[in-house]
Amino acid sequence: MREPQLRAAVGVLALAGAGIAAYLTYTRYSGAPIACATGGCETVQQSRYALIAGIPVAVLGLVGYAALFATALFRGVTAATAGVGLAVVALAVSAYLLVAQLALIHAVCQWCLASDVVVSLIAVAAVWRYLCLAGLRATALRRSS
Amino acid sequence: MTAANAAPSLARMSRNRSSARPVRAPKARPGSRPSGGQAGRLGWLTPRRTFLAVIALAAAIAGILIGIGVAGSGGGASSASRIEGAQATTALLAGIPQKGNVLGRPDAPATLVEFAEPQCPICRLWATETFPTIVRSYVRPGKLKIVFQGLVFIRPTSDSDNALRAMIAAGRQNRMFNFLDLLYRNQGREGSGWVSDDLLRSIGKAIPGLDVEKMMAGRSSPATSRQIAASANAAAQVMGTQVQTPTFLAGKRGGSLQLVQIQSRDQLYPAGFRALLDRLIAG
Repeated sequence: MREPQLRAAVGVLALAGAGIAAYLTYTRYSGAPIACATGGCETVQQSRYALIAGIPVAVLGLVGYAALFATALFRGVTAATAGVGLAVVALAVSAYLLVAQLALIHAVCQWCLASDVVVSLIAVAAVWRYLCLAGLRATALRRSS
Repeated sequence: MTAANAAPSLARMSRNRSSARPVRAPKARPGSRPSGGQAGRLGWLTPRRTFLAVIALAAAIAGILIGIGVAGSGGGASSASRIEGAQATTALLAGIPQKGNVLGRPDAPATLVEFAEPQCPICRLWATETFPTIVRSYVRPGKLKIVFQGLVFIRPTSDSDNALRAMIAAGRQNRMFNFLDLLYRNQGREGSGWVSDDLLRSIGKAIPGLDVEKMMAGRSSPATSRQIAASANAAAQVMGTQVQTPTFLAGKRGGSLQLVQIQSRDQLYPAGFRALLDRLIAG
């Protein structure tokens, strides 16, 4: 895959993730029941692990996905680097929340799992994109020197 | 270009095409003076170094976020903060009238009676998954009141008895549903001795406005024993000797209460339960 395709992939995946986060944010603030095939969504969303510094994780996710989407709007190494950084943060926080669901809350939320998959794919695409650009830059530097 | 060949280091890529002999890339040190060319200026900022710096920075930020999350979740903190869902329970029930074992407006047009056992895992499932939806969609708008009837039958019964007595004593301070909700959120394994005085105090401390010592003392009062016996009698009238929990009755005000016929696990979740409830209280 080439850089433009990977950039597009990051953008599309970030939009998908933002959709999930937006839905969970909506249910949290509206009080609407969460559509949940696995059961456990309400338990997870109402647990103390659903807040970081008093901010709902769904809101943090929405902000994170928006930032990831923004990195896909711009060409260049700087945007790709920012994308890698954000993806790593998102991946680590997702892993923490997955462990919390399995080991501490003893309930699993399907929307969280979907978000985990999206974050993992974004991380792969973001790193790949960065490596493409880094390779191109290295080639450019080599030619100029 | 693929990931496999995308990022060879500058040193590996720098070969002088005019010479047959490979030439090393300029090895600039951080802080060294620029040598004029682009490669000279940025030579030390290899993709590998940039990548590692970004990863390190991101890991640090993630560590801080996770640290804040763990601290906020009360991992290893004081007993009250170890209680799961304290904030959520308070927010869920804030402003809703409670009196004894009744949650909601006393003149609500419909009633839902719940028979439940403190140690019953299916009761926990309903309490954590569906109770919040019922409260938000029916109780808070004044459409429904919930009456809780606590039962004790899971052996050894000491855990259930201890929990139910504390729950009823909290009800005397009109905070039974806060206690109930927190107890289910923090439910332990059946018969494992999980209902300790420490747990009951911790739950009590997580409920705003509850006098914990008064609640603890109220567990052994004759009124508490009478209420347990009254709930057991009510359950016997509904279920006979085949007591199952959770069991629900629902109906409109002034009418008779009917059994909520739960036939599958799905009906304990919000969508399924609401469909059953709406059938009994609609109109």
